[in-house]
Amino acid sequence: MRVFLEQVINGLTIGSFYALIALGYSMVYGILKLINFAHGDFFTLGSYLGYTFLVFGSAALTSRLGIWGGMVLVTAASALCVALVGIGVERAAYRPIYPAGRLPAVVSALGASIFLQNAVMVLWGPRYRAYPAELIPDTALAWGGIHVSLLQLVILLVSFALMGALYVIIQRTLFGAAVRATALDRDTASLMGINFNKVILFIFTLGPALGAVTGVMVGLYYRQISFTMGWNYGLKAFTATILGGIGNLPGAMFGGLILGLLEMLGGAYISAAWKDVFVFLILILVLIFRPTGLFGEKTAEKV
Amino acid sequence: MTRLPTLFRKIPLPPRAGFLPAAAGLFILYPFLAGDYLIDIAFFFGIYALLGLSLNIVLGEVGLFDLGHAGFYAIGAYTTAILNTQLGVPTLLLLPVSAAAAALFAFLVCSPIIHLRGDYLCVVTIGTGEIIRLALINNPFELTGGPNGVFGVDFPGIGDFFVIDSSIKFYFFVWLVVALSAAGLLRLQRSRIGRAWNYIREDETAAAAAGIDVRSYKLLAFVLGAGLAGAAGNIYAAKLMCVSPESFTFWESCLMFCIVLIGGMGSVPGVLVGAAFVSLFPEIFRPFAMYRMLVFGTVMILMMMFRPGGAWPRRRFTPAPDELSGGSRRNDE
Amino acid sequence: MKKAVLFVAVTALMLTGLPRTAQAADPVVIGLQGPITGPWAYEGEMARRSCEIAAELINKKGGILGGRKVEVRVVDDAGEPKTGALAAQKLVGQKDVAAAVATYGSSISETASTIYEKFKKVNIGYGVTAVRLTQRGFKYFFRTCGRDDSQGAFFAKEVPSRFNARRIAIMHDNTAFGKGLAEDTRKALQDLAGAARVEVVFYDAVTPGEKDFRVILTKLREARPDVWYYTGYYAEAALLVSQARSIGVTCPFVGGNAAINDEFVKIAGIEIAKGCYMTNEPLPSDLPYPEAREFLDAYRAKFGEIPSSPWPIYAADALNIIAHSIDKTGSTRAEVLADYLRDTVNGVPGITGPIGFTPQGDREGVPFYLYVVDASGRITVAK
Repeated sequence: MRVFLEQVINGLTIGSFYALIALGYSMVYGILKLINFAHGDFFTLGSYLGYTFLVFGSAALTSRLGIWGGMVLVTAASALCVALVGIGVERAAYRPIYPAGRLPAVVSALGASIFLQNAVMVLWGPRYRAYPAELIPDTALAWGGIHVSLLQLVILLVSFALMGALYVIIQRTLFGAAVRATALDRDTASLMGINFNKVILFIFTLGPALGAVTGVMVGLYYRQISFTMGWNYGLKAFTATILGGIGNLPGAMFGGLILGLLEMLGGAYISAAWKDVFVFLILILVLIFRPTGLFGEKTAEKV
Repeated sequence: MTRLPTLFRKIPLPPRAGFLPAAAGLFILYPFLAGDYLIDIAFFFGIYALLGLSLNIVLGEVGLFDLGHAGFYAIGAYTTAILNTQLGVPTLLLLPVSAAAAALFAFLVCSPIIHLRGDYLCVVTIGTGEIIRLALINNPFELTGGPNGVFGVDFPGIGDFFVIDSSIKFYFFVWLVVALSAAGLLRLQRSRIGRAWNYIREDETAAAAAGIDVRSYKLLAFVLGAGLAGAAGNIYAAKLMCVSPESFTFWESCLMFCIVLIGGMGSVPGVLVGAAFVSLFPEIFRPFAMYRMLVFGTVMILMMMFRPGGAWPRRRFTPAPDELSGGSRRNDE
Repeated sequence: MKKAVLFVAVTALMLTGLPRTAQAADPVVIGLQGPITGPWAYEGEMARRSCEIAAELINKKGGILGGRKVEVRVVDDAGEPKTGALAAQKLVGQKDVAAAVATYGSSISETASTIYEKFKKVNIGYGVTAVRLTQRGFKYFFRTCGRDDSQGAFFAKEVPSRFNARRIAIMHDNTAFGKGLAEDTRKALQDLAGAARVEVVFYDAVTPGEKDFRVILTKLREARPDVWYYTGYYAEAALLVSQARSIGVTCPFVGGNAAINDEFVKIAGIEIAKGCYMTNEPLPSDLPYPEAREFLDAYRAKFGEIPSSPWPIYAADALNIIAHSIDKTGSTRAEVLADYLRDTVNGVPGITGPIGFTPQGDREGVPFYLYVVDASGRITVAK
């Protein structure tokens, strides 16, 4: 039983990373119907920027703010930079393509993804980078035999807090209502006076910023980063988005968590080598029986 | 337009095709002028053309969002490799067999999911492609050779006197298959099936209301597309003499997707242009070393910006831009 | 008509890539095929750097064949068989390339070496450990690295007895190299009989590129192994060991020869890394040969660090032995070089030890040692 609990915590940790990245995907997807392949690369970029800030600012940070303070500052700085990059990518690669339809946008997104991924490789080199161990707290805890680390707990808390905050913003605030309305029907929303450009600004700063924060957390947690890591995380996050239902932000969150737990189940009780097969099979089965995702989608039906 | 013999008159040539005889001549002369390295590049151009044509059926004609097409390609390649190395079945004979195997697989796998809409279908196809690739790596029943793959595939041939074993012969072989496929697909475009496909792509609900069996036509598209991809897999396996899972990743599916989009959805000559871009570009830009992928990505974005209909769009399918966006601004595609 | 002109222009442009004939004072060109881009880009980059240093050292000493310099021509195979075939095809088409150092990745080498064999060009693999590559009766294929079965046999001979282990856990990464080594090790362990019998209590694979292995590691912990062997690369190895220790896996960790190096120690941190073992051919830093020290010093001087995996160093050795053979035979003809490499090269000092090849083209007689990371983070031979 205790082993199972430990595995559940493991699954939730992986799942919360997927969930956070899926949120960024889902926001863009719900409103623009665009599969933002570059989102995984915002995550990578955030991770690398976090690494650079941490390494070059390390002395200043830890002496003035302590280890935890340093991490917060680095995360914020990274999120800010990636948010700017996100806006840039939207202006350069997506905005000109909107009139052309969805499928050209997919190709453009793929192109942006290739560009970003290779830009990271050119700027930082193809070698793996490692977040410096001295700057990261490594206290381990053992509650009744369950091994967790303090960092793991903090990350889980922060992830859930972020998810919760985003949920509140989207579901409870006026601006969130505007975002949801635009996802439902863009034309009618602008007729209602919702400023479409503001909504775009919102999703393309918050989405990449979330991705960057996740990237830094992944860097702190696993300590090792590579320029290709965005691809896998992005693919899983996109799967989570669809699993949860298109345009359904809470759905994307739960989709991510469920995906993480499924991976855990597959890895622990079947075989780590086959776990991805297991996850995709479950996904296909779910979609066969619930064709609009686990939680259904929040869009209008064409009649 | 030159007078074509009756046999060929039924093949509808795209407009602006007056240069075809010159291009054909160049194609035939090319391998005698170039070294093996250049012939091989042209060979892989042909493979990508075949793969592009196969995905074009599903994505271009019917508008189904398929991002797992590399899986069918893999099934064709591995069927050839396994049957040839384990049971000694001749490679050339395995061309239709591999195509059939991939087609059968598509039929079995796509039947339960064919009713899924757009993006959900997309994710399921991604999943299928990944499942196939992972299964190949994990070497179930010791059949697939794991990450090393299967090696030792024989050259295709008829008996001992006609064997396709040199770069030039492979070049002609693959382009013959491409030419036949292209001809067949052009005919299909003008047929009832092609029209039904395009109708489904434009407006599925209306097509169903008009009495078209949407489900069967979609399944047919998948089966044909998979079969053609399987055939490409056979030729690929024969040329490289071995197959391994690295050649059938999600990235390959993305590349095929780009071929169809960059060339022009539903356009046979467009697919050829797209295949040329995807296969020749990385080779031409080798001197740029690690910067060449940056350029590749940028070119993709620019292509979509300036020619979203594709480099050689289908003549009938070039509506004004606001017609396209009018359909996509509502979130139900 | 416009398209036809465009097509002709592009074709003409590509045809200008055809080679011209070489002249006497031209450098001797040795090709290097490797994954400069793609998922193994970091290996490819190190291999390129290693060959660059090796060539520089040769040229500094006066070059070969009476003063001709050695030039390295790099072709990228992106770690993928199809691109590998094209890369090999490109090199064989260039008449001034004497031989090739190629390549990294057994499945890429499969196709590439077949092309080199067909067009008769000597190719020496530096990161290709699949046993079957030298079972094809090829005349022009060699390798300076070892094979999966010799490392596996060494593990079976040394490790269970040293750690008094009855329960062995084997983990790999589903790559050609990692899985090959794991399977050969498992086979070797299963061949142990009588009092030496052991049980493989855990055999599974992780996915490279992933970061979170707690799930599989918890499973490993519950299998209660006495010793744990990981046959994959240092990137995952570092993560695996850190995460394993944090959840209470206490058994000794042994890595294969790609799992432990300075990068591993850096990523895992000295606290975790110390006490980890590894099966490996002799490390360059251990070799008394001046070649090793010279090479590493030059590499460190130019790039600030030494290569973090064994394969780039095999690449440098491959380049060196090709240059040596060209110099000694006075010829760049493939048949002459192949015969010389196979029959005459024996005990030629190299960075990784004395170089010699078996009749099948394998690296001859490379011993294995058990290494350990000591308390200061250095990797030394385990006593």
